Amino acid sequence: MRSLLLTGLSFALTTAVIGNAFYQKKQFYPTVVYITKSNPSMAVIYIQALVFVVLMGKMLRSLFFGQLRAAEMEHLIERSWYAVTETCLAFTVFRDDFSPRFVALFTLLLFLKCFHWLAEDRIDYMERSPAISWLFHIRALSLMFVLGLLDILFVRHAFYSTLLKGPSVQLVFGFEYEILFTVVLMTFIKYVLHSIDLQSQNPWDNKAVYLLYSELVMGLIRVVLYVAFVLIMIKVHTFPLFAIRPMYLTVRAFQKAAQDVILSRRAIRNMNTLYPDATPEELSSGDNVCIICREEMTSGCKKLPCNHIFHTSCLRSWFQRQQTCPTCRLEVLRMPRANAAVAQQQQQQQPAQQQQPAVEQIQNPFQNMPGMFGGFPFQWPPNAGGQGVPPPFMWPPQQQPPAAAPPPPPTSGSAESQAQATAASTSTPTTDDGATSTTAPTTIPAMNFPFANMPPFMPPVMPPMFSPLFSPFGFPPPPMPMDGLSEEELLTMEGIERANIEARIQWLRDIQALLDGAMVLINQYNTVASHIGSYGIQTSPIPPPYSTSGPTNASAPVQQTNASWWPEGSGARPKYTSTLSKTETTDSPKERKSSFTSSSSDKPLEGATGVTLPKDETIPQWEDPRVEGHEDDMHEVRKRRLQHFSQQLNHSYSSPLVSSPRSDDDDASSSFDGVNKSDDNDTH
Amino acid sequence: MAGSALKRLMAEYKQLTLNPPEGIIAGPVDEENFFEWEALIMGPQDTCFEGGVFPARLTFPPDYPLSPPKMKFSCELFHPNIYPDGRVCISILHAPGDDPMGYETSAERWSPVQSVEKILLSVVSMLAEPNDESAANVDAAKTWRDDRKGFEEIAKVTVRKSLGL
Repeated sequence: MRSLLLTGLSFALTTAVIGNAFYQKKQFYPTVVYITKSNPSMAVIYIQALVFVVLMGKMLRSLFFGQLRAAEMEHLIERSWYAVTETCLAFTVFRDDFSPRFVALFTLLLFLKCFHWLAEDRIDYMERSPAISWLFHIRALSLMFVLGLLDILFVRHAFYSTLLKGPSVQLVFGFEYEILFTVVLMTFIKYVLHSIDLQSQNPWDNKAVYLLYSELVMGLIRVVLYVAFVLIMIKVHTFPLFAIRPMYLTVRAFQKAAQDVILSRRAIRNMNTLYPDATPEELSSGDNVCIICREEMTSGCKKLPCNHIFHTSCLRSWFQRQQTCPTCRLEVLRMPRANAAVAQQQQQQQPAQQQQPAVEQIQNPFQNMPGMFGGFPFQWPPNAGGQGVPPPFMWPPQQQPPAAAPPPPPTSGSAESQAQATAASTSTPTTDDGATSTTAPTTIPAMNFPFANMPPFMPPVMPPMFSPLFSPFGFPPPPMPMDGLSEEELLTMEGIERANIEARIQWLRDIQALLDGAMVLINQYNTVASHIGSYGIQTSPIPPPYSTSGPTNASAPVQQTNASWWPEGSGARPKYTSTLSKTETTDSPKERKSSFTSSSSDKPLEGATGVTLPKDETIPQWEDPRVEGHEDDMHEVRKRRLQHFSQQLNHSYSSPLVSSPRSDDDDASSSFDGVNKSDDNDTH
Repeated sequence: MAGSALKRLMAEYKQLTLNPPEGIIAGPVDEENFFEWEALIMGPQDTCFEGGVFPARLTFPPDYPLSPPKMKFSCELFHPNIYPDGRVCISILHAPGDDPMGYETSAERWSPVQSVEKILLSVVSMLAEPNDESAANVDAAKTWRDDRKGFEEIAKVTVRKSLGL
């Protein structure tokens, strides 16, 4: 109402001024001269011009935007005030050039700026609007076209006038319109992205990513433009005070865009590497509404380690802000290694029961890490440093085979591939989040230790069925582990691997002798066992190893037997080690022993590695019905193993190590299985 | 395909109209703009706010539900956890990053799991049990702590005002 009144007043004044002039001078030319000579008349004319501009703006607005929404209006007014203030500041710099034309140009700039802002707001609104009409598209496109064209024209004009007449106020206009042109470009990119999103029925996951990147590029361009502008202005005129605020905002926006891109990249990488896709069964069972967008989940979903399932895109945008599970706020980045193991487990999708213990294996070392450091006081210190590691940490596997007679050959092979697998799984997180990446070199060797120390019961973990599994597991062209390991480490690892194999053959021979000795012992024990019935009952759950899946549920008894077995086992072991001439071997069992005795009650897992030896061989004889079969097995296995290894010697050293299934391994694996169960009862 | 924020708000609106929780009515101010909601909250029973009907505005950010909405009572409400200008100060409305009071753990803050319904229910329970430890309105907190009678008197007045009496 008031604006209408003002407009009317302005029109009335103008009419009065012109009428008065014409009344006095009667002719056109003198009238014009009279008006331009009289200051009050010119003031009225200027006001009238402003009114025309505003009216024109309103007309264009209703043409291109229709009714403005409250938020847009608010935004516009807020920004206009800043723009007006900055324009006044700019006037002070160019006070020498001050002229009506100069003011008119600045007004026009302001006017166009307003339209750029409105266009930006309108395009942002696309995403929030329930329905987008054709009118909207036509308006948006034509507006962006007109604005872009005007910007280019003004930039061109500014450029040529600067070239011809030297630097003037046109410099400012040139830069301002260039900035505005980037705004138009960004708006157009957004428009295109939103339009594509609107066309498709399904949410377009990558839209956010494209937006982020275009934001980043535009931010960079703007920052460069502003810096160039300020530098040129300082050189030509003075410091452009009026450009400071927009420049600061631009730099901050660019910084934010860069940060967003980094966070988003990290989130995406984590999503792709750490969390498994939810399977259709998981999606169909129970509540399948994504808690973030409240839409049904049909495909493209990820499962977090806490078993909560979300849309990949929803999860990604949330992870960009915070790395927690939206539902339970589990800090997902804190446990990426375990996640990776789970992820691998999911991806492998191996129904074989033996595989699960194996995967738990991968997990356990990390979970028990502190405990293990405590548990192996003698072995760990040299390794824990992570420097000069390879020899010490790769050797244990070699030492142990004799300690655990039956399973030696696969040890280093499986340990290696396990280590590879874990390296693959662990290095992804380490490279992913910048925080841990620095620790990568130390953590990865550390990862390997558990396996290096475990071999006695690692091989058991690798049952026959595991061999096919390894090809995807250990030998996928792993670019990731390379990240974490230095060249040196890789080389030393490889070299040691070869040495391992040679040494292993040596061990095998010893083991044969050992096994023969064991058979004698078995017979002796057999007679003893027939007198001690209770032990036979207690240990009975262990042997089913031969059924490979057997004793997984017999966790409690197994632990009991472990405990009750120990005295005998430890007593028996020195004998074995003494049969072996190697000094290392005698070392390792001792360490084993000491570590076992020093470890607390929930650490029998590691201690058990040493124990498996007597147990594996002696167990069967407690169970009379199985003895025969077992003996046969043993012989056959030994033969097969030797055959296999002589073959392997001929073949390449690296790959086939893992692939020989052994029933002994079964035996031990399932017995280990049982032991392991005691730690992870709930996984089955 | 509209934006995910819009779809989520539509879904929540539908949910709220189909199964309205007791004592709460909420919906967009107009169907054109789903990012401005109006809510009516009834004062919880057996409290000094019983019987009152308090209107509030909810403003949703474009990236809802990743960022929390803002809630502001459009009526006068004397309460320790409501700023004198009507803004509601409860932990689930705070984005995980900022911590205006410096004492909330991130577990209490906004997460996409929250919803309009949960916010409003939290506000109802906040009306019933003010938390004077992190006061948005210090005067109200002081009155609540030291002069419960006086607080209840003021609350009664607000209730009457909210009903237009």
